[in-house]
Amino acid sequence: MNNMKKSIFLAAIILFCSTTLFAAGTQYSLRVDGLSCPFCAYGIEKKLIHTEGVESVTVDLEKDLVIVNVQEGVVLTEAQLKQLVEDAGFTPRSMSEQLL
Amino acid sequence: MRPSHWLGWWCSLFLFGATFQLSAAPITFNSALPVSKGEGEVRVQAKYLRATDDPGPMSRELTVKALPIVGVWGVTSRWTIFGIVPLLDKTMELDMPSGRSKRSVNGLGDVTTMVRYTAYSKDQPGRTVRIAPFASIEMPTGKDDEQDRFGRLPASLQLGSGAWNPLIGVVATAQSLEKEWAVSASYKFNNEANNFERGDEARLDLSYHRRVWIGGPTDGLPHFFYAGVESNGVWQGKNRNNGQKNPNSGGTTLYLAPTLQYVTQRAITEVALQLPVMQNLNGSALKQDFIFTLSLRLNY
Repeated sequence: MNNMKKSIFLAAIILFCSTTLFAAGTQYSLRVDGLSCPFCAYGIEKKLIHTEGVESVTVDLEKDLVIVNVQEGVVLTEAQLKQLVEDAGFTPRSMSEQLL
Repeated sequence: MRPSHWLGWWCSLFLFGATFQLSAAPITFNSALPVSKGEGEVRVQAKYLRATDDPGPMSRELTVKALPIVGVWGVTSRWTIFGIVPLLDKTMELDMPSGRSKRSVNGLGDVTTMVRYTAYSKDQPGRTVRIAPFASIEMPTGKDDEQDRFGRLPASLQLGSGAWNPLIGVVATAQSLEKEWAVSASYKFNNEANNFERGDEARLDLSYHRRVWIGGPTDGLPHFFYAGVESNGVWQGKNRNNGQKNPNSGGTTLYLAPTLQYVTQRAITEVALQLPVMQNLNGSALKQDFIFTLSLRLNY
């Protein structure tokens, strides 16, 4: 009986770890023109982080790059991202995505 | 010599720099930099003006302290609205027949609302150029019937003008990661209230800011430290008392201001010291010593 409990517990741990380790979100990389100071750039960060499903936003001013990580199953379309960047007052240049 | 000859102009000028700009931008005037749609920013300034160079016999000394609070909201990526609520403390000391006297007042001044439209923008990697016309209206929210033991305070020493005063202008900003240029031109139409009409005001402002230090976190937006210089050319027409032009009012002043700015993603802390390098004022107007500004802008 004890062995069975241990096995079930072990199986639960493995299942939990596997779902955690292999939970696959998506990372969107946006090239944005017009990002010229940290205070202004925070506007785009605010705009994106308030979007449903977005887990994190990182802005790299020197590379004109905005990295958006979203939860598994969440999809942001190019049109949606373009609109968000424009609403923040900037100009989207290009976009790419990759599964995490 | 009544202080209404010159004081109104200064108080108006004094608050102008507190009004509009919220992005990392000039300190003494406006900017064309963007505010995100549906997002807000706030700015609080502490301003201190001193004027003691009196060509007249009364040894006048003026001190104005102000705490303008500015709220900004991005209606769209191109349309931005602003609200400016100034708290004022004005004190004037002068020689009167009864001896050295002090007249002072403090409280809420005239609230201003403004709208700005980004008419042109050209974004490139790490840089932007923008041109934005703007218009504002100063509303008579400040008291204009304050009194002291000498009687009713003169119109320009009042907290409010009692009039609705519109302003129009245009600002252009070119900003890169290393530096920023800005130029602004504006005209304010001052209207009559209580038989007093302050002269209209025209301004031409320039600024240049250069990034001199970069630091902060390695895994997020960096912190920038800017040093800069700003200039403000200000012309004011003569005031009118009971319809008559006052010869001891109005004129032209040119300010130069060294500035420092510490910019992070959520806040900007900045100081500016405006020095009047040229004052060509009409008649016997009191001349200014300086205007000091300490400011905090917050992204929320």
